[in-house]
Amino acid sequence: MRGEIMEKTEWLKKAAQSILDADEELAKDIAQKSLEAGMDPLEMINHGFSEGIRKMGDLFDRGEVFLPGLVVASEAMVAAIKILERALPKEEQDRKLGVIVIGTIEGDIHDIGKGIIVTMLSVHGYEVHDLGRDVPIENFVTKAKEVNADVVGASAMMTTTQIGQKKLEEALKAAGLRDKVKTMVGGAVATDHWAKRIGADFYGESPQDTIEKLKEILK
Amino acid sequence: MNAKERVLAILNHQKPDRMPCFGANSTVTYDQMENVQAFWPQAHENGEAMAKQALAAHQLLGFDAVRVPFCQTFEAEALGCILKPGGSDGIPGIDPPPPYEIGDTPVLPDDFLSRGRIPELLKAVGILKKEVGDTVPIVGGIIGPFTIAGALLETVPLLKASFKTPEKMRPFLEVAESAGTALAQALIDAGVDIIACEDMTASPALIAPPTYRDFELEYQKRQFGAISVPRILHICGNVDLIVEWMGQTGADILSIEPKTNGKLAREKCGSDIILMGGVDTVTTLYLKDTVTVRDECEKSIADGIQILAPGCTVAPGTPTENLVAMVEVAKAH
Repeated sequence: MRGEIMEKTEWLKKAAQSILDADEELAKDIAQKSLEAGMDPLEMINHGFSEGIRKMGDLFDRGEVFLPGLVVASEAMVAAIKILERALPKEEQDRKLGVIVIGTIEGDIHDIGKGIIVTMLSVHGYEVHDLGRDVPIENFVTKAKEVNADVVGASAMMTTTQIGQKKLEEALKAAGLRDKVKTMVGGAVATDHWAKRIGADFYGESPQDTIEKLKEILK
Repeated sequence: MNAKERVLAILNHQKPDRMPCFGANSTVTYDQMENVQAFWPQAHENGEAMAKQALAAHQLLGFDAVRVPFCQTFEAEALGCILKPGGSDGIPGIDPPPPYEIGDTPVLPDDFLSRGRIPELLKAVGILKKEVGDTVPIVGGIIGPFTIAGALLETVPLLKASFKTPEKMRPFLEVAESAGTALAQALIDAGVDIIACEDMTASPALIAPPTYRDFELEYQKRQFGAISVPRILHICGNVDLIVEWMGQTGADILSIEPKTNGKLAREKCGSDIILMGGVDTVTTLYLKDTVTVRDECEKSIADGIQILAPGCTVAPGTPTENLVAMVEVAKAH
């Protein structure tokens, strides 16, 4: 029994470390071998790999890891989780914390930060509909209706596209959706102040911050 | 002193009659477009419209220089990237797919300088030279190696390469540096007095500082070493972590955002470097009033700024009065 617990802790530690090392091949290998060793895939995701990306997010927030490291680590995470998900029972695969529609405002072709948020939301159990970059306002509204979204998120990286986040608030109101969905804004030019000013529900400063605020707002 | 004498005085480490004020990046706004009756997208594509729009910075705002172009896509387009038009409200960008993948060998075309909109850009410089060349300095914009490489590969693959296989970035940085340097030389031949190099992707907001030190610094040194007129280096965001190396590139002027610690920049780069900056373009210039703009300018000057400037590219919806307020602060120093 004691040996089993030791072994379990060891697998979870190894999984987290492979993400901290941003080593995709190693992460995939650990995911596969942990299944063969009889580890619970859900536990590997939630307490192993997720722990790694959470720590990576903290290091990023503290300025000890930079964007390239976070991008590569989150790709390693996705690759490992793909392997583990195939081993999950059907009902676990379908279990979702909420439905999120997300995209980068039209005119904006920068979507690195949004890509990381999409990965993080997916691995935390949200159903994410990523509209990509350079997305016209009406597409956010149409998609939110179609998938019955709980949250609509818009990212803007440039001063010239930031105003689109305000237009999105107005478009959701006009479509009668605003009281049905929560809205979040993000991106290089967004701030808490800006979110309040345009009436968005919250500003996600970093991946970690977004996950925490989402949990709170969807309670 | 006229604007040219004023800016030259600063560059020669002499005391000007007052502090100069101009942008290292584009300062075009919708208000200015209306005022001079030159609009987007024409001013991104046509030499006459471009020159007309550039003049507004001096004639309408009272800035101490005029600057072309207003977007960051001239080199990338001429190197084979797909141009995404910005329409009447926005600036042109680059559309996927990118022309190269990491591992490819990019090439600088022989006819680089006659490709895309570069001939129109050079034409605009010629017009500006004739119109105001004797009294107002002309700033010609080029794009830094890392940022051009980001267009050739798309930013995410470049960032991943910077982490996983950094040596594979070199051929791209080589071509990107040669392209920017060739454009700089053509701009100088056409009549610009100052070269401003924008290198957005080299910011610590995107790449790790050691990547800047171990890769970009070498190419920027080479580029600035080949440019015979004064050089401005602009990198967006908070550059505290790389400012020491920015000071080693050979740039005469560093253009920094208020997020960057001006005192630290001075400490790390020494007394010869000229610091340019002053006001945050989004949270202050675009969203706030003239009182806030003035306060932020004064604070930046206290931190060692010698040329007052918007911290980055001005949002086109920025009110004219906020830009004019900057000139008024400069006049009092």
